Amino acid sequence: MEFTFLFSQFMSGLTYGLMLFLVASGLSLIFGVMNILNFAHATFWLIGAYICFTFWSLMEAHQFALWVSIPLAALATAAFGWVCEVVLIKRIYKRELHEQLLITYAMALILGDLIKIIWGPTDRLIVRPPIIQQPLHLFGAPIDSYFIFVILIGFTVAIGLWWFLKYTKYGHIVKAAVFSREMVGALGIPIPKIYTWVFTLGIFIAGLAGGVQSAIGSVTLGMDTNIIIQAFCVVVIGGFGSLMGTLVGSLIVGEVFSFAILYWPDGAMVLIFVITAAILIVRPWGLFGTPLRA
Amino acid sequence: MDKKNSFLKRFRLPAGLFFVALILPLVVSEFWVHVFTEIIILGLFAAAFNLIFGYMGQLSFGQAAYYGIGAYTTGLLMVKLQWPIFVCLPVSMITAGLGALILGYFCVKLRGIYFAILTMAFGQFVFFIIFQWYSFTGGDNGLQGINPPMWLFKANAYYYFSLAVVTIGMVLLYFITESPFGYTLKAIRDNTERTEFIGINVQRYMLINFVISGMFCGLAGALWGPFNRSVAPDLCSWQNSGHPVFMAVMGGPHHFLGPMIGSVIFTFLNAFVTGFTEYWPLVSGLVMIIVVLLMPGGLFGIIKSKGYFETKAVVLEGNNPGDTGDKKNE
Repeated sequence: MEFTFLFSQFMSGLTYGLMLFLVASGLSLIFGVMNILNFAHATFWLIGAYICFTFWSLMEAHQFALWVSIPLAALATAAFGWVCEVVLIKRIYKRELHEQLLITYAMALILGDLIKIIWGPTDRLIVRPPIIQQPLHLFGAPIDSYFIFVILIGFTVAIGLWWFLKYTKYGHIVKAAVFSREMVGALGIPIPKIYTWVFTLGIFIAGLAGGVQSAIGSVTLGMDTNIIIQAFCVVVIGGFGSLMGTLVGSLIVGEVFSFAILYWPDGAMVLIFVITAAILIVRPWGLFGTPLRA
Repeated sequence: MDKKNSFLKRFRLPAGLFFVALILPLVVSEFWVHVFTEIIILGLFAAAFNLIFGYMGQLSFGQAAYYGIGAYTTGLLMVKLQWPIFVCLPVSMITAGLGALILGYFCVKLRGIYFAILTMAFGQFVFFIIFQWYSFTGGDNGLQGINPPMWLFKANAYYYFSLAVVTIGMVLLYFITESPFGYTLKAIRDNTERTEFIGINVQRYMLINFVISGMFCGLAGALWGPFNRSVAPDLCSWQNSGHPVFMAVMGGPHHFLGPMIGSVIFTFLNAFVTGFTEYWPLVSGLVMIIVVLLMPGGLFGIIKSKGYFETKAVVLEGNNPGDTGDKKNE
């Protein structure tokens, strides 16, 4: 009993951690390459969730509705992110830190209200297709079968990003840009273009994560403000611009959260902040980051 | 120009503002008196924040934590122990200062974006403690019934009380920024390494400043509780930490009164916009984008660049408040 219970808790921590990874990886990528801390990142995630709900409700009658809605939501969110980048973010590359923060903070406020205007204040709930309605029994522990899907998506994105960064030409450029933008620009690579696509890729992952999230529970206003802070914690723990760090950081936060809530429910979030602060104090560049940029 | 003349010139703007603030409540309706009270309280909050931002050159995204500590200290003391408000205000400054001392000790080790993130993380830390500690702080219900004493119950009375406290606070802040300590802060902002070379313990100065800023944020928060008759954990949230940043940027962090002017614009706009739409975040976000894109340096920056009137600038020209002093990603 004790083991199965802990196992199911572990699995929900893993699911939560990977959801955080999906949000934080884009955040970390954007910060690593563009040096812009995107306060609005989780708001894009929430937009992805709402778009997914809209697509799903259009195809409600069909079995495949959810599975088609998730990639569509990711694409639609990415397109929207691209527009935001071209219209707004492009103008603040060379600005001061506080101006960049204020712009993305303002974006979070505006997009949050746009969500409210478009989808209204009522909670939205996706009815899951039958295949994921029943819990799955693993080692005698009942596991939400959708969690398996979330975990798979999380690891797929992690491996995909890793492959992209390691084996493709554009991945190499992105990695080089994290290290030194000036040098990459000096080699004749159009930095603004790279920025635009990195931002779009980050928002694409956020939109995908939002789509996946939409079937976990109901989609509500204000979900973004909680997760953005946790995503910041993840990125700080793992190190800005480090994919491995973000994965480890999000698993730490997910599992700590999941187990702390058992023994000390009030202190779960506080504990995560304590860990984050401890990491920032000892290694400001995070577990896997490079001290070069600190 | 003789000394007396430059003295007059220097203080004509704050003196003018003070007289306007003194007279205005007599001619407007009660609603606007409430708005004015909000303006001066938030103005003090923003001015205290600007001590870190405009003068020390670091961006804190967690000042709402100390504002909240101040508000909760006064709230708890008034509700649970019925302490008089005159005692609550200084005590709130002390508790907020203590909070800033403990958390700031770690923050001042970092610079730039890491400073911003750690202050924000600590801000959220305070927020969650207050949010979760039901038995003591009332959790997300907040604290109700923080009633000011009878003689401060009327809107006008509380306004003048706040005006007195805020004026004292602003004068103290002004003396601090004009003292050798204030100039050391500017030296740290402009060139941290050189300041260190001439034998100044930069971290200690930054910490002292962080504590002073926290104390005045706490004072502003302490005024807020009895004004609003209640406090809620939202006061400490990171969204609320963004407001002083925006006020300082809008008014102009280069000028001592910039944050206060920013508060005037921001709070007026808030009162005006919330009158006919619930989408205040949308409007404020749009205003923020316009301000950042079109008026870098804030209102005072524009006035100065157009040469409308010459004040003796508090800050040396050509310095960016957000410049962290360390070289950006070489």
